[in-house]
Amino acid sequence: MDTPVLESWVLAEFATPDELVKATNEMRLKGFQGMDTYSPYPLHGGSEALGLPPSKVPFIALGGAITGAFGALAMQTYMNTIDYPLNVGGRPLLSLPAWVPITFELAVLLTAFGVFFGVLGLSRLPQPYHPVFEHEAFRSASTHGYWLSVPKLAGVDVQDVQGKLQSLGATQVTVVTGEKE
Amino acid sequence: MAEPAAAGAAALDPLEPRHLVAPHHDDKSLNDTLLDFVWQKPGKGWLMLFGVTLTALGGLVLGVGYTLAKGIGVWGNNQPVGWAFDIINFVWWVGIGHAGTLISAILLLFQQKWRTSINRFAEAMTLFAVMCAGLFPLLHTGRPWFAFWLIPYPSTLAVWPQFRSPLVWDVFAISTYLTVSALFWYIGLIPDLAALRDSSKTKLQRILYGIFSLGWRGSGRHWHHYKIGYLILAGISTPLVLSVHTIVSFDFAVSVLPGWHTTVFPPYFVAGAVFSGFAMVVTLMVPARKYMGLRDVITERHLENMNKVILATGLIVSYGYMMEHFVAWYSQSQYEIWTFYVNRAQGPYAGVYWLMIACNVVTPNIFWFKKARTSIPIMWVAAILVNVGMWCERFIIIVTSLHQDFLPSSWDIYTPTWVDWTIYVGTLGLFGTLFMLFLKFVPAVAISEVKELQQELKHAAHHGSSHHGVEQAAAGTLTHGAH
Repeated sequence: MDTPVLESWVLAEFATPDELVKATNEMRLKGFQGMDTYSPYPLHGGSEALGLPPSKVPFIALGGAITGAFGALAMQTYMNTIDYPLNVGGRPLLSLPAWVPITFELAVLLTAFGVFFGVLGLSRLPQPYHPVFEHEAFRSASTHGYWLSVPKLAGVDVQDVQGKLQSLGATQVTVVTGEKE
Repeated sequence: MAEPAAAGAAALDPLEPRHLVAPHHDDKSLNDTLLDFVWQKPGKGWLMLFGVTLTALGGLVLGVGYTLAKGIGVWGNNQPVGWAFDIINFVWWVGIGHAGTLISAILLLFQQKWRTSINRFAEAMTLFAVMCAGLFPLLHTGRPWFAFWLIPYPSTLAVWPQFRSPLVWDVFAISTYLTVSALFWYIGLIPDLAALRDSSKTKLQRILYGIFSLGWRGSGRHWHHYKIGYLILAGISTPLVLSVHTIVSFDFAVSVLPGWHTTVFPPYFVAGAVFSGFAMVVTLMVPARKYMGLRDVITERHLENMNKVILATGLIVSYGYMMEHFVAWYSQSQYEIWTFYVNRAQGPYAGVYWLMIACNVVTPNIFWFKKARTSIPIMWVAAILVNVGMWCERFIIIVTSLHQDFLPSSWDIYTPTWVDWTIYVGTLGLFGTLFMLFLKFVPAVAISEVKELQQELKHAAHHGSSHHGVEQAAAGTLTHGAH
């Protein structure tokens, strides 16, 4: 049996979203990496405070749109023009204007799939277990709590991190340990 | 500001003197109010209503079972009226669905903050309405177990669908609409499902909501992708919703029948869809906000705004009627003139026609008056009348154009049978049942969005009461944090 690889984080709760964003900014400027915020709704300036690069979801969506549109055009042309040419009232076999509605619909459909699975995939969801859930008070993150996690990497002094978070206004600070994903 | 900072959520715009979120709420009290209904034991009212909708659903099972056993000959359809209740109800239900997407997508892009507390509700309505709509064409195929023939797949028959037909476009439009609405609804629901998971009281609840929330933990990285994804979904749903009823209207407009063959159909159908959809939202919202204690987040202002939309789209629909009648006269085509001025207005279905005019053209005008826009009983009755009127509109368009077309020798009268009515009432039951379950098992208001809105309003209150305050506040936090 494998021994689970353990990982630890320092978790801190803040009273308001603004304090959380401010604290995250300060911690990032102090050089901490791999931090994450947890809040019941998106934080204003949260992505910037964590220093996240722009999301790739739009590119996945664009890929879906292009696949959908060209796939639909190819499908209709192959089926009604090449494989089973259908003469309806003498209209041209390649009736592009009549292809438009389905081309549009499939482009939208695949864009939506791209967005949905893109958001889930990039967020690494579904993921039922995560070490932060080990902390009972963390349940508030989805309702009214604003949390910050700082990974306990090699060479990081936990006491020091805890002190820093407390001086930034954290209302409670703990360390959680769990299996690495 | 006259109010204390703690009640700052009341960011009052001088032009908008009423609240979007009642001022006495913070995150925690919002949770309690909005999640409460899910955690409560079902009350008497809920059980009774659920009983009613389940009974009607039983009617659907009966009507559909009878149709499947006997064939669609048990419906009132005949020659020349080969399409009747099945397409009337299909168009009516799809139309009702349109308000949901309009509220969740178009109003989001227009940054209409009042959409926030009603979008979840309206999106659920969309989803269930489109499900009801889909039933009708499937049943009308006569052998719904072969419905998969509509999908282009390589079969041994070596035949493909005919892509020049608006009916095939419909298949793609409706299935795309249903899928995209479901994804949009579900992705919006995930943060609230996580809130349910974390506030659950029993292990079973925690496990079930845990599964459906997919392990969402509100991480900054999740929100980072989620925000842009949600925006893109709104962006593509906007043209999608316009395309769906446009394609539905092509089912008629592409043919050559008098009363159908007109270019005004696509915009006029879309406006009619939004009109009936908003009327349905008001019909459902008025009792729901009362009995579920949602009056703090779905305020008078929301209702009034919806009534304004009903008025605006009602006027567009009236304009559509006017143009139809004008063009029929202007074309001097005897068939068009016959259809609009003789058959519809004075023929065997004149009663339905004048009911349609009364409900769709006259009724919405009551919303010119602020008193009517803000009076609960008036708006509720008006909304129901609009739903009736829009159903009559589809009846008139479909039945009158078919039952008397070019050849008097083929004219006939259409009368629906009890099976037609049972299936129609049955879909109301299906819709109602799904809606009742929705109200009971997930939050009817998008909690995380309401909290975000409240936070924005708070910022706006601190940084001056204008809407620009929101951006300034966000920017202020950033620059402040960066020092």
